[in-house]
Amino acid sequence: MAVRLGLRNRVMLGFGLIALALSATLAGVTWLFVSHYLVADRLSTATTESAVNAEAISLGLSQPGASIPQLLDQLPSGQATSSLLLYGGHWYATSSAHGASAVPAGMVAMARAGEATSSRIRDGGEPMLAVGAPLTQRGNAYVALYPLDDLDRSLRILSSTLIGAAILTSIGGLLIGRFASRVALRPLAELTGVASAVARGDLDARLHFEDDPDLGGLARSFNHTAAELQHRVAVDARFAGDVSHELRTPLTTMLNSMQVIRNRRSELPATVREPVSLLSDDLDRFRRLVVDLLEISRDDGGDTSTAEVVRIGDLVSRAADAAALRPVTTLSPEVDGLRIIADKRRLERVVANLVTNAETHGRGCLGVLVAVSGAGLRIIVDDAGPGIPPDRRDRIFERFARDGAPAGQGVGLGLAIVDRHVRWLGGTVRVGDRPGGGARFVVELPLGSHRDHSMPTSSG
Amino acid sequence: MRSNTGDVSRSVLLVEDDARVRRVLRLALEDEGYRVAEAASGTAGLQEIAHAVPDVVLLDLMLPDLDGFTVCRRIRRDSDVPVIMVTARTDSHDVVAGLEAGADDYVTKPLVAKELSARIRALLRRAEVANQHPVKIVAGDLEIGIEEGVVTRDGVPLALTRTEFRLLAELAGADGRVCTREHLLETVWGYGYFGDSRLVDVHVRRLRTKVERDPANPRHVVTARGLGYRLVL
Repeated sequence: MAVRLGLRNRVMLGFGLIALALSATLAGVTWLFVSHYLVADRLSTATTESAVNAEAISLGLSQPGASIPQLLDQLPSGQATSSLLLYGGHWYATSSAHGASAVPAGMVAMARAGEATSSRIRDGGEPMLAVGAPLTQRGNAYVALYPLDDLDRSLRILSSTLIGAAILTSIGGLLIGRFASRVALRPLAELTGVASAVARGDLDARLHFEDDPDLGGLARSFNHTAAELQHRVAVDARFAGDVSHELRTPLTTMLNSMQVIRNRRSELPATVREPVSLLSDDLDRFRRLVVDLLEISRDDGGDTSTAEVVRIGDLVSRAADAAALRPVTTLSPEVDGLRIIADKRRLERVVANLVTNAETHGRGCLGVLVAVSGAGLRIIVDDAGPGIPPDRRDRIFERFARDGAPAGQGVGLGLAIVDRHVRWLGGTVRVGDRPGGGARFVVELPLGSHRDHSMPTSSG
Repeated sequence: MRSNTGDVSRSVLLVEDDARVRRVLRLALEDEGYRVAEAASGTAGLQEIAHAVPDVVLLDLMLPDLDGFTVCRRIRRDSDVPVIMVTARTDSHDVVAGLEAGADDYVTKPLVAKELSARIRALLRRAEVANQHPVKIVAGDLEIGIEEGVVTRDGVPLALTRTEFRLLAELAGADGRVCTREHLLETVWGYGYFGDSRLVDVHVRRLRTKVERDPANPRHVVTARGLGYRLVL
């Protein structure tokens, strides 16, 4: 039974309960006053009328030769349904419907003793007001019966109206509570959205209620934290780029000096040739690393993109076949001749890096498939390696995640660049199992993906 | 000095402020058979060109006095010498700005003399058009003399750079058919399929400002949207 209501539901329920309590109190008080007034009014009318009638009968009886039924008939037709007269030990009545049996004995005794009384009775199921009035001729009594069913009906209508009003007010309270809680909690909903956006990596997301007098402090401190985080991430990312920039000048010296040495390899003493060759190879790797680091830092810095119309099948097969040094690409029929708007350079890096990864870490690329899937384009790269265990699948797209490759084989930036570029192109990349063993990298790209058409392909 | 190219050695002017980079590039380029002149600033580079026009200028965009774009525009005022600019990044606006300032091609740091040499050779190639074509091609009011490397409009010679001329000659040789960007990258600049298409786009823009009466509404070099460019004959 421990159902935890949300803050919004609690606020809503609170408003509803307050509305219910207020409207119920108001209805109760209204009911008490109105019903009391109506009953008292009816009683006073009946008492006055029966006193007047009793007096008229007393006067009639004092006249010689008075006929009792005639006297009763001559009474003004007031609100009474029936008038009864006890005279000389006999009951006379104006209506046969209501007899003396319905009249309480106590009331008759009081009237005979000269005391007027009233009482609510039921006669044949009908609610009635009986009023006993004394006559001047002592020992006799006049009793008038008044119908109460109309008053009961009025009171019933009043009570259902009041209950209805209370229910409507409570529902109104709930609705107002719902609205108020939504308005009041809107910043909280925004906070939730923005916080999860930041967690997803959208570091530009900010709260917009900094001017709110109550919640502005929260918004400002949240935005400040997000800005700090963004700054830190940018600084970290730029660090790799800055280091690489700085490395380029010495790298230029080394690469060009090495080129001169290599041009004169035949002039070198035999003992020096092997170390020079080792140095030369590592210098090439060093250069690739610096270029890759620049490539990654450039994306972190949010640089420009160029979009142009490309035949996607051509692009992928050229990039993949060149990286594998043999034909590896299969195009599904709908891709043949398909033109899309894309960033050629980034897409080439994505395909080339995936194929190179398959060649160096996946025991060879088994094939690259390009197909249209739904509203997007799918590029699949299969390899013949041992596959990637599920718990390592996210990590391999991180920088320098080498996935157990032997030391010296690649430096683990290739897949990080793939991840960066695919995101830049608005797509996703994931790795899974190839049916039959090996890893399968799947790149999904929106068709016509581009961010920034910085170089129009046409001006005429 | 040993010459790898075998032909008459070409001269390169290196405009670069870092003395170490200048020195090693000089060594490596000389080893590739080039004659190398150096300039440590934009102003010095312009003076050097005024003194002796080299075959190719290698121009760093980051210079202490005049920036590379300004130097490039000043070179273009009275020279069609091929300019290769050196930029830090492939995908920055610098590339387009440099090409628009008049550069013929660009390379990114770190520079290697052997790769540079391939770029230089591509830029210094002569315009060639398949044999069956006449040496003079007429396209409306344009007359393209392939052999002489001269373009006239209504008989008036136009000042095209060598790269602009080769681009026009390549388009003219296509007989009015569309040339894809990839094709132009390969034939004019010597790049493969993945060359930078911005080279083509910016050079076409520059070419239009010279050969078209209204560059905004080109009549000669027209865009085949999504495909490439063609010359209307």
